[in-house]
Amino acid sequence: MKRREFMLAAGAVAGSTMLPRLAFAEAGRIDWYTASDSNILDFWTNTVKPAFEAANQGITLNLVDAGDGSGLTAIAERAIAAMDTNTDPQADMFESHDPLVPAGAVEAGLWVNVREAGLSNVDKVNPAAWQTDYSLPYRGSQVLLAYDTTKLSPADAPKNWDDLVAWIKANPGQFIYNRPDKGGSGGNFVRRAIHQANGLDPAAFTLDNYTDEFAQEALGKAWDILADIAPSLYDNGAYTSGNTQSIQLLAQGVVTMTPVWSDQVLQAMNEGVLPEDTGLVQLQDLALVGGFSAMTFLSNGVNKDVALQLGDFMLSEEMQTAILTEIGGFPGVSWDYVSPELRERFADIVPTSIPTFPGGPWGEAINDGWYRNVAPNVPRDS
Amino acid sequence: MSAAGGAVQAQPEPLDESETRRRPYGLLLVAAPVLLVGWLVIWPIVSAVIRTLWQPADDGGYEFTLETYVFFFSDRYSLDNLTVTLWTTGMCALFLLVICLPISLYLRFSVGRLPAYVQSLAIFPMFVPSIILAYAFIRVLGPNGMVDILLNAVGLPKIRTPYLTPWGPVIGLVWDNIPLTVLILLSGLGNVSNQAIEAARDVGARWLQVLWYIILPRIGNSILVALSFSVLGIFSSFTLPYVLGPAAPEMMGPFMQRTFRDVNDPQMAITQAVITFGFCIVFGLFYVRSVARNRGK
Repeated sequence: MKRREFMLAAGAVAGSTMLPRLAFAEAGRIDWYTASDSNILDFWTNTVKPAFEAANQGITLNLVDAGDGSGLTAIAERAIAAMDTNTDPQADMFESHDPLVPAGAVEAGLWVNVREAGLSNVDKVNPAAWQTDYSLPYRGSQVLLAYDTTKLSPADAPKNWDDLVAWIKANPGQFIYNRPDKGGSGGNFVRRAIHQANGLDPAAFTLDNYTDEFAQEALGKAWDILADIAPSLYDNGAYTSGNTQSIQLLAQGVVTMTPVWSDQVLQAMNEGVLPEDTGLVQLQDLALVGGFSAMTFLSNGVNKDVALQLGDFMLSEEMQTAILTEIGGFPGVSWDYVSPELRERFADIVPTSIPTFPGGPWGEAINDGWYRNVAPNVPRDS
Repeated sequence: MSAAGGAVQAQPEPLDESETRRRPYGLLLVAAPVLLVGWLVIWPIVSAVIRTLWQPADDGGYEFTLETYVFFFSDRYSLDNLTVTLWTTGMCALFLLVICLPISLYLRFSVGRLPAYVQSLAIFPMFVPSIILAYAFIRVLGPNGMVDILLNAVGLPKIRTPYLTPWGPVIGLVWDNIPLTVLILLSGLGNVSNQAIEAARDVGARWLQVLWYIILPRIGNSILVALSFSVLGIFSSFTLPYVLGPAAPEMMGPFMQRTFRDVNDPQMAITQAVITFGFCIVFGLFYVRSVARNRGK
């Protein structure tokens, strides 16, 4: 093909993709969106989709990567607008989403109340996982401390917060956690400090008891704790910009210990990024915060009913087992509904309790407060 | 320019003499891009300015307020972020000039195989996505990275790694912007005729004098264009400062994104965007001015 012809053809193709397209949701095609990492999308593509489509003839899954949380928020906002005009939102469910975002979505009736939707497996869900009635928890993971066993013997690994702080101060430059908004491992380390500063009681924080004054007071105490250890962190108070970068520094032997997500560290060890003898330890006085990913369903989605059926399917033993074995996540259902053999196999990483921390306005207060009070390494008395 | 005054007579004449025929076609050709720019660039800017100046009031209506701007300019943390952004941009501009000018001079005035290889090497960063560059940077210049390993092998101490310090983004952004700067400077150097240089040499001008009196005056415009281009990109860059830079102070790109998404404060994020845009418009004016000056010649 001559160059000019090629350019013409390429231009025509590029132009045609820009033409406005009319799209309608198809009956029997679940429009599913996620903001999770690619390991989750892979899991849905390779495991969930074939299994669900085989079990439900005529139903297909349209798996779409919305990029990040703000991508989902935009689609949710569009769906609220579609409610007002009674049009098709072209979205049926989100893989993992906080129903409080965007503000007013719950009040507008955007999300299906999953507790009242009559799902057969809904009672199996781990009671600790419920945050609201508008999202259905189906997988979880928890933050642990991973450490280099060549530099720290398992016998000396800190088992509670005070020991951890003492260890960090005794070994300056050997600990790093990531910025709380850039990945949950650092984010939940910060939340553990908030628990520490407020009497080790996860129940003290709920979605409904947020007020600016309470947050100021409760979080302020945690900023003191974190600012206190900052000079002893890697590079006198540097923070990585994500979960992966923390693992990278641990793998390069730069730091000795870092908080990690349970599923990511297992994957890193499987892939050889981290050595197999990487030590994992959980604090015994109060575990680091974990999180459950919860699906939300759009009440005006064309395929709402099949989407809910899919949600129910995710809580089945088959899928919950796959979550454990394929992605190293915790089941969203209570442990009683997991086969004894698996319970045995994952006994080490599986916590007896998973402290959680509410999202919504709390997340925003933490993200803003940490950057202002901890990250700049400012002395608090100034 | 007064020096160009004598050449006014030599104004190029339009190819097509009949004004009436020429005008609609020209306008039609630019109509699509102009409309797109108006729709996707100008309108969002106008709407952002309006949204930050007229905010919902307590009584349900809208009122004129400078509240978010006052907050930004009285907030130590925001100002630190703005300062570090200006510092990074300035440093990058300086290093780009220092690095790219010799490269382009070399490429312009040498012949043979080697310059071709040097040129492809200088253009190479253009084809590397910045996220890959960021991770490669961590592996090479990061703690216990390749440089440390090499230094260690010959018994030297480790470097003070720029990773997670303000120098991290500077190094990454300079590397990323070398191709564009070199290309623009090279095209500018095309204006410098060999005869002019040879003539200067003949009357005994040294290398430095040739550079100062013959070359630099000719490519001043290109330098301005190259720098304003890279500066515009660097000022609002996101990936490299996000991955390589410190948690605080952060550059405006990551700061805006974080305010919008993680702090969930769109109003403040738009204010930051308008302020960023205000700075960029200054750099943009440099560019527009130099283009206009070129056209006027």
